Amino acid sequence: MATQKAFYFDASACNGCKACMIACKSKNALPVGVNFRRVLQYGGGAWVPDPEYPDFLQPSGLFAYSLSVACMHCQNAPCVNICPAKAIEKRDDGIVLVDEDKCIGCHYCEWACPYGAPQFDADKGTMIKCDFCVDLIDQGEAPYCVASCPMRALDFGELDELRAKYGTVSAVAPLPPADLTDPAFVMTPHRDAQPVGQGTGRIYDDEV
Amino acid sequence: MSEQSLVMKALTDVTLKRRSFLKWSAALSGTAALSGGLSRKLGPAPSEFARAAASEGEWITAACWHNCGGQRCLLKAQVVDGVVKKVKTDDTHPDSIELPQIRGCARGRAQAQHVFGADRLKYPMKRKNWAPGGGKKELRGRDEWERISWDEALDLIADELKRIIDTYGNEGILEVGSTLGGVFTLLGGAVRPWGTTSWGTWYYTGDIVGLGDGLTNTTHNDRIELQKSNLIVIWGGNPAWSAQGNNMKYFLDAKRAGAKFIFIDPFYNDSAMILADEWFPVRPATDHALALGMAYTLITEDDPVNNPLIDWDFLNRCCIGFDADHMPEGADPKDNFKDYVLGTYDGQPKTPEWAAEICGLTPKQIRYLARTIGSTPKVSLLTAWAPARVNDADSWPHMFMTLGAMTGHIGKSGSCTGVSCWERSADGGPFLIGAGGAGNPRVQNENAIRTQINNGELWNAVLTGQYTAGYNDVRNVNIQAIIHDGSSGLNQKVGMTKGIEAHRKVEFVLSINLFLNTNSKYSDIVLPATTQWERYGYLKGNRDHLIWARQITEPLFEAKDDSWIAAELAKRLGLDADLVAGLPLQQQIFNQLAGAWVLKDNGVDRENLLTITAEDIAEMGVEGEPQEGRITLQEFKEQGIYVVPRKDGDNFGYIALKDFRDDPEANPRKTESGLMEIYCPAQQKMIHDFGFTEVDPIPTYNRPREGYEDTFEDWENKVKGEYPFQLFTIHYRRRSHSIFDNVPWLREAFPQEFIMNPLDAEALGLKHGDIAKISSRHGTVIRPVFITERIRPGVVTLGEGAWAEIDEETGIDRAGATNTLNGAYTTGQGHQGWNSCNVKIERYGGPDALEQDYLWEQRIPIKEA
Repeated sequence: MATQKAFYFDASACNGCKACMIACKSKNALPVGVNFRRVLQYGGGAWVPDPEYPDFLQPSGLFAYSLSVACMHCQNAPCVNICPAKAIEKRDDGIVLVDEDKCIGCHYCEWACPYGAPQFDADKGTMIKCDFCVDLIDQGEAPYCVASCPMRALDFGELDELRAKYGTVSAVAPLPPADLTDPAFVMTPHRDAQPVGQGTGRIYDDEV
Repeated sequence: MSEQSLVMKALTDVTLKRRSFLKWSAALSGTAALSGGLSRKLGPAPSEFARAAASEGEWITAACWHNCGGQRCLLKAQVVDGVVKKVKTDDTHPDSIELPQIRGCARGRAQAQHVFGADRLKYPMKRKNWAPGGGKKELRGRDEWERISWDEALDLIADELKRIIDTYGNEGILEVGSTLGGVFTLLGGAVRPWGTTSWGTWYYTGDIVGLGDGLTNTTHNDRIELQKSNLIVIWGGNPAWSAQGNNMKYFLDAKRAGAKFIFIDPFYNDSAMILADEWFPVRPATDHALALGMAYTLITEDDPVNNPLIDWDFLNRCCIGFDADHMPEGADPKDNFKDYVLGTYDGQPKTPEWAAEICGLTPKQIRYLARTIGSTPKVSLLTAWAPARVNDADSWPHMFMTLGAMTGHIGKSGSCTGVSCWERSADGGPFLIGAGGAGNPRVQNENAIRTQINNGELWNAVLTGQYTAGYNDVRNVNIQAIIHDGSSGLNQKVGMTKGIEAHRKVEFVLSINLFLNTNSKYSDIVLPATTQWERYGYLKGNRDHLIWARQITEPLFEAKDDSWIAAELAKRLGLDADLVAGLPLQQQIFNQLAGAWVLKDNGVDRENLLTITAEDIAEMGVEGEPQEGRITLQEFKEQGIYVVPRKDGDNFGYIALKDFRDDPEANPRKTESGLMEIYCPAQQKMIHDFGFTEVDPIPTYNRPREGYEDTFEDWENKVKGEYPFQLFTIHYRRRSHSIFDNVPWLREAFPQEFIMNPLDAEALGLKHGDIAKISSRHGTVIRPVFITERIRPGVVTLGEGAWAEIDEETGIDRAGATNTLNGAYTTGQGHQGWNSCNVKIERYGGPDALEQDYLWEQRIPIKEA
């Protein structure tokens, strides 16, 4: 059976600090505007008059949680399937890599990916993305994001082992449904997590 | 011309030894790779980067030296041929609760982009229209810059200082920072600012009433004890933003050990997001009223047998002033706290209904909080300094202590009352490890003047020539030079708009800095200093660890160490340059290493941390004696860190004030009575003597300037005024105060957003991402709106520390520097009331009306052809 490297993320521990994102930028020397790992803040709720004291507003159903998201190295990776230059490959260990020599920078993978993982390198005219720190993985070390997390909210390993350890959840709102691409991803939901496709909140940091 | 070639030109203008030149240019190719944007094309592509970085070079422990409020974390830089390739954090040992890795935050991970920023000051500069005496003073902040040599710069500065002292005396000089402190001391002194900063009113009140200030004197338990609490109350704190690193993990450890969390805060902050079981959205600057409403509930509902909410044993044995039976001799028994709360003599019971009108929680919520805290056995009642950074809040720490004393959550396992914030967040107690002293001789001058002006009056004193020296004691002063020797004083003190006026009034302004930050921008002469990465070494730690950071790169461009600058100025002023410079840095570091200590397992005795050999001493090129210690110097150098392992039941645990609770006579507090003084004449006298405002000896409620009540034109009839919103200004993840604000990666990650509730936004016609214009009585900023239900309606917030970008035509600050909005007030102990500010909000434009600041041009003062 082929192995599959995967990320684990604990939303009950993540406080949205973005150390993972900046550690990744530092490791990969990424300019502003290009991010292999991003941290989303999702939340919602309302403010309503207190039933006993109508002059006082109270939060109702208020919730918020953060999600740290990178390339999911999907088992059914749409980027691999759509690339007209056959520039994206899945290694034997499941890690999805872009071959920059073959890439023609057409952006198809970016449009096909529901996680927004592929990024455009304007200098080279090719697509680039999270490579799971293959250089470190191949030496038996942890990816930079995992080793960076002050809350110990990230982990990595073989997908089946992570599932045995942490369970089988691989999506909550606002992530896309897991059956779309079969992401190599396991997560512990936040206590206020909302189900995929049925979220009542919004991504707070989307436009600012 | 590309950034790298700009830099190369600058370098080739300098006479360099070949070795340094090679190192510099290597470092600069690192700059190009790290500075992002346009210069990225000069750096290696990611895949090459990854391949090249995998197996080469050396990992060197790198300083993260900022006043960040965090854990004091470990950074390591991979240096290959003098170029910093990557930065990582602690991987020196496996991670566990007992022996955690000391992991850094986003700012630390961006440290290389800070040190090697394309906007580093490269050489000394003077303002084009400056001349001795000031020149065109009104052009400060908008003039052009000219490069000058170090000799010219130092000569000009020395001549101006001499001229100003000859003309106006030493009181003509205001030293805002400290790196030239020795020079000014020998020169006869200078005016210096005073006043609490981050502490708010905890700085003086905390200690004088019998609790602690929260930094030098912590009264919260250590992180292992924290895990034994049934309930942890975080009142006005957001460690996820203001104490980054491991501190939040320690709170999460406590949650996973079973503690319930209550957050009392206007903002459902990121700490609450993962920890809070319940959130109570109190209004800013009204915490004292809430606490009084809780005290009323405790007093009126307590029944020692059937409903014990108050710890009478603790109040009666360990405190004075709670009720008429426990008043100090000479005090009027009617002035006790209990009768104030009940309104026995002033006719105003401080009921939950009374408190609710001010603080915004319902009477039911206020009673619930009192009952829950009063009836839960083990409570860590924690606050941060934020609720004390409020105008007129001098009695708030006093009130907080009183609430802890009433509920008895003091001095017991799993129970404590105090400040948990900054680097001590979630982990109180005396240090288990520390560095020795640097061994520098003290620079002393008995004849030096010691004039001090309060932060809140500082800029006004420059403008008006008057300041408050004490009660009924207003004095004249004529300041004609402002010296920013390693500070961000203009940007970081209340009343910046007046500060800029003050900078344009005086005859001379000097700034020593890394960047053209706000201070430097409004100066006449700017000198480039080195960072800790360009120096021999740096030691820093926290309660349970010590870090030895070493030099990462040669000094960049023409940057010089602060000690060199001070010594060169001293020479020109005829002072003892060696004394001012201090010992060579190697020797200072050696002294700190040789003096480093760690507690033995018995928790009492100290031993040397380091074994140092004669070879070590020879290698460092210093004077010293070999010694025995726990680990070798070479191990410490390689690891860069020593962490003291912890476990429950070890001898390093800390239950704050246990000795005091057990035997208050044998272990008195540092108050006049030795007890916790709920009635504290010393506090009243101290505040009176500062000469600004008055407080009572008991913690009565003082209506704050620019608090909630001041959002009304007519409080009694609830008619809102011109500035109807309450702004509080938070520590922000992008920065350590103002440091790091210019780092593009961090700007991108943390966009300096203006946070408000959707109900308010809708009423004002603002959409998420629109640009809002926010005005206070003191200034105006524009920032993108971030709409979230997580903030209470009527309350808005903005991160403190952005570098002001003030439009000369309109006076509008597009960076959103909070001190553009925060006014300069002097209340109580002369603290700065950053969390009491009234604002009005208008729509300025759509998202396109203000470019995201990570895309702004960096402040590179001289664009060379």
